[in-house]
Amino acid sequence: MKNRLKVLRAERDWSQAELAGRLDVSRQAVNAIETGKHDPSLPLAFRIARLFDMPIEDIFDDGDAA
Amino acid sequence: MIRKSRPALGPGEARSRQRDMRQALYIGFAAIIGGVIGALTGAFDRGEGHLFGTDWDKLELDPGIAIVIAGLLGFGFAVLPLYGFRRIDELKRDQNLIAFTGGATAVLAGFPMWAVLHAGGFGAAPHPFGVWMLAFVGMIAAYLYARWRL
Repeated sequence: MKNRLKVLRAERDWSQAELAGRLDVSRQAVNAIETGKHDPSLPLAFRIARLFDMPIEDIFDDGDAA
Repeated sequence: MIRKSRPALGPGEARSRQRDMRQALYIGFAAIIGGVIGALTGAFDRGEGHLFGTDWDKLELDPGIAIVIAGLLGFGFAVLPLYGFRRIDELKRDQNLIAFTGGATAVLAGFPMWAVLHAGGFGAAPHPFGVWMLAFVGMIAAYLYARWRL
């Protein structure tokens, strides 16, 4: 699944550790999500959406949009 | 000498540092428990055996020491990992689930394979330490696979 996490993080000048702390996950988890190696759970995806104040579908793209 | 002040940490970076510190303390504490188990076993063994070896049945301990070591082993191999399992995030939980699956699969497949190979004249009969090693090595191999390949 593609996502815009890295771009959104860069726009706020946050490090991976900064974003990880704000999401209460490890820095490795942020890195894995950004590189597409890990798809976040629904609760984590909601936390990410709330943090960036955006709808989930504006951050994550499963490539299956109509 | 002018000392450079560190840049202020953001709230997220501070929390990440706390998480890293907790993990380091956890690993350090687990290492201490392992060291205590090794030291007690080495100091009080009256036999010729080793706890983690094929000659484990030659280990001879006083009943009281045996109970203490058994308690520490239960703490180190069950309580501590299960506690850690509740503290890690979803990525590491996924990796740990894959690791435990690898360990269980290694025993489920490995023991009967080993038994029939022995029955066919290949190698020694399955023994408890070997089965434990199957689980342990299977778990580590699966964890490494999950960590670096998935």
